Amino acid sequence: MKRAFLGELEEVVLLTVAVLAEEAYAVTVAQELDQKTGRAVGFSTVHTTLQRMEEKGYLSSEMGGATAERGGRRKRFFRVTAFGRKALREAKEARETLWNAMSPQTLQLMGN
Amino acid sequence: MSRTPHVLPPRWATWLLARWSHPDTREELQGDMFEMYSYWLESLGKRAADRRYALAAIRLMRPFARSKRANDYSETYSFSPAMIQNYFKIAFRNLLKSKTFSAINVLGLALGMACSLMIMLWIRDERAVDAFHANKDQLYRIYMREYFSGKVQGVIWTPGPLADELKKSVPEIEMSTPYSWTIPQTFSVGNKINKQATNWVSGDFFKMFSYKLLQGTPAGALHDKSNIAISRNMAEAFFGSPEAAMGKAIRYDNRKEMTVSAVFENVGPNSSLQFDCLMTWEAYVDDNNWAMHWGNTDPLTFFKLRKDADPAKVEAKMLHLLDKTDRDGDKPYKTQLAMQPFHEYYLNSTIKEAKMDGGRIEYVQLFSFVAVFILLIACINFMNLATARSSRRAKEVGVRKVVGAMRSMLAGQFMGEAFLISVLSVVLAVMLVALLLPAFNSLTSKQMTLPFSEPMFWGAIAGLLVVTGLLAGSYPALFLSSLNPVRILKGALKFDSSSVWVRQGLVVFQFGLSVILIVGMIIIYKQVGFVQNKNLGFDRENLVYFPIEGELFKKFNLLQEQLTQVAGVKQVSHMTANPASNGNGTDGITWPGSDPSAPVRFTPVGIGYNFTKTMNLKMTDGRDFSKDFPTDSSGVIVNETAVKVMGLKDPVGREMKWGNSKVRIVGVLKDFHFQSLHTAIRPLIAYLGAREPQGSVIVRIQAGKTPETLAAIERICRKLNPNVPFTYSFTDQEYARQYQSEQIVGKLAGYFAFLAIFISCLGLFGLAAFTAEQRTKEIGVRKVLGASVTGIVGLLSKDFLKLVVMAIVLASPVAWYIMKQWLQGFAYQIDIEWWMFALAGVIAVLIAVFTISFQSIKAAMVNPVRSLRSE
Repeated sequence: MKRAFLGELEEVVLLTVAVLAEEAYAVTVAQELDQKTGRAVGFSTVHTTLQRMEEKGYLSSEMGGATAERGGRRKRFFRVTAFGRKALREAKEARETLWNAMSPQTLQLMGN
Repeated sequence: MSRTPHVLPPRWATWLLARWSHPDTREELQGDMFEMYSYWLESLGKRAADRRYALAAIRLMRPFARSKRANDYSETYSFSPAMIQNYFKIAFRNLLKSKTFSAINVLGLALGMACSLMIMLWIRDERAVDAFHANKDQLYRIYMREYFSGKVQGVIWTPGPLADELKKSVPEIEMSTPYSWTIPQTFSVGNKINKQATNWVSGDFFKMFSYKLLQGTPAGALHDKSNIAISRNMAEAFFGSPEAAMGKAIRYDNRKEMTVSAVFENVGPNSSLQFDCLMTWEAYVDDNNWAMHWGNTDPLTFFKLRKDADPAKVEAKMLHLLDKTDRDGDKPYKTQLAMQPFHEYYLNSTIKEAKMDGGRIEYVQLFSFVAVFILLIACINFMNLATARSSRRAKEVGVRKVVGAMRSMLAGQFMGEAFLISVLSVVLAVMLVALLLPAFNSLTSKQMTLPFSEPMFWGAIAGLLVVTGLLAGSYPALFLSSLNPVRILKGALKFDSSSVWVRQGLVVFQFGLSVILIVGMIIIYKQVGFVQNKNLGFDRENLVYFPIEGELFKKFNLLQEQLTQVAGVKQVSHMTANPASNGNGTDGITWPGSDPSAPVRFTPVGIGYNFTKTMNLKMTDGRDFSKDFPTDSSGVIVNETAVKVMGLKDPVGREMKWGNSKVRIVGVLKDFHFQSLHTAIRPLIAYLGAREPQGSVIVRIQAGKTPETLAAIERICRKLNPNVPFTYSFTDQEYARQYQSEQIVGKLAGYFAFLAIFISCLGLFGLAAFTAEQRTKEIGVRKVLGASVTGIVGLLSKDFLKLVVMAIVLASPVAWYIMKQWLQGFAYQIDIEWWMFALAGVIAVLIAVFTISFQSIKAAMVNPVRSLRSE
């Protein structure tokens, strides 16, 4: 079977969902991205990316955890599916293969 | 993280989110955004938070955010693409499923729309006449009101000096011009001779009106007596091109050299003034001195107001302008001036009780009504078929309602279907119009085209679409959406009496309109035929006339002598005016016992010897003018109407006064029509004009020898009058031309009546087909029990025939009233007789029976085994 490729943004979002584990929903993912990576990702982008990845089967979701601070509305919690984990692992392996293939001099030049 | 934000995000953005975000994710999205807002508020401040919130809300609106494709349990909403797709799918399936009914609907609506479109084009064209002048809101024309003995009469012809006087005495009037009769005149350059429609105007003419000048300037076009402005056609005919014509000499009437001072673009059909060339009013006065007297009326007078002038004040100022002139003199009446916007004259040219009112505008109104009616008939078809066939859609309505469709949604769905059909029809209609326009043009003698490039046209199309869609769709939509789901789904749909009543009422209405149109067509046809075949009191067949002009004034006797020798010529004479129409009038006739405060307007005519014989007129008393009586130069012949008006017992030999001279009656003519039948016969006074023949030569020729006789006459005229081209007219043709607009209206009424009855029958056909289909089982059972085919056909036809008969009964009085009004326009009318209504009724019934029998016979012939087999 052909491997499913993750886009760069998708990979980061997927990783963040994995990092946040039980607490992953759009708000925490957006804030985590904002704080940890410092990249300017709009909330709407995060939202649509999450939706898209659920459609593709990397994520599954369930509703729950209404709080007063969000006007009593429920959250949609995301969880990485087995397929998502596989995709993440494959992405990581692909990078490592490339890193490993680098000559020591180049590695040195990169400050390693 | 603060608990509840003290500051709230922008409300409009929140609303956007609540209303337009994707319904699947709406709940968590609203919550998420709330949380994000407080986060942004804390980390970035209010302004940035607001901005981010708003931006995100906009980007999360459905069109921008991705929709989820595969979700089995999507929340429903009425405008989801799936739902709209379904509406279209159902609509198309329904169209295709019952092809006959769809075809009837689309065809009927398309015909109705095509008809309305054509009438709209016609009206647009009528309204465009004279609307092209840049100053059109400042241009006016004068008409006069003559008051005498308590009566008032309107006249559009005015005294010659009026145009100049207006400019002098009313400061608001900036420019003015007289405009004479347009008369064909002879022009020549070298050996090229041509007749051209000629008129005489003031130097202001081209400054007032927007006739395009190809050569010359508006100010310089007519500023000298010897100037002439000619059309492009005339310039090309005489000089080859407009450029070549400028400054050249052209000979007028073989006696005056004129200089071409301007060349204008040919006058188009959208101008009510038609002319090939214009000369100055001063030149006209040189030839016609009498035109400078206030007492005579000749030209029309037009003027242009200043931009800031108040028309009401100007009208007040000019009202008594003529009092200071010697116009009314010792005559017993007072003349007042009134004005009318120039461009309104074309449609409002009839003078009723001294006001400009009516005229072509009546036909414009009439046809607007017809357009609306025909469209209405087509819409009724749609309504009837849709409601009658609603049992087919009832199950669908029931199911939709059960799964949660609201009434408004269902109504919307059916309206949408009506619009879909309207769109199909409009496309078909535009194609039909494009196809039929040439025929329509030749019928109405216009040059109309479909104005695809004009936004107005598309507006009209859109308007037609919306009106038709709403009209046709509203009732079925309301009716279908009102059905009760429990009743529908439990058993067969039964119509309550009110909906059946509405449907029958609509059929009656449709056929009523058709009957009115048929009656109208019959009466117009009869009236036009009556007018054209009525005995006019003289024989108009084989009567040729041509103008006395050029050398003929002096050589009339020679001409007469030579003409009488031609084999095909029976009689030759002459008269002022022409045999087909004589509209002259004189008030100056008095007789012993005449009432000076109520002068009678006589129609004067100067005639030659032999006039009565040439015209085939009968004398009731006295004798014709004769060369044996030299005293005939002071004799007159009057008609019977004149004798009646004067109240004379024994008219021959009586004396009367014409102006200041005494005349004696030598003979009385039997009444004959010297004008169109729109007007009653007026008192006629004929004097002997043999000394100075003027007007037309009239020639009675032998039947069956027309071509060779005409050729001989032309040869003689050419020889005697070499500088004037020979033109002639047939009296019967000219006479018929006076009823051209009635003929066109008659023909159009015929077409429209046909169309109306055709569209109505389409509907009837559909309804009959539907009833026959619904009663298949019943017919089967009846046949098994022994019913005959005729019996069943009668059974099926009876209900419809009742409606048609009712329509005839209701529509006849309306038709009678409308046509009575129309006939008022003729002094001599046909009687409206009962058989006209009977004929219209029979036509309607026959067509209806024919239509219905198609279906009912088909239904009655079906083998009952087949119709009863299923189940």
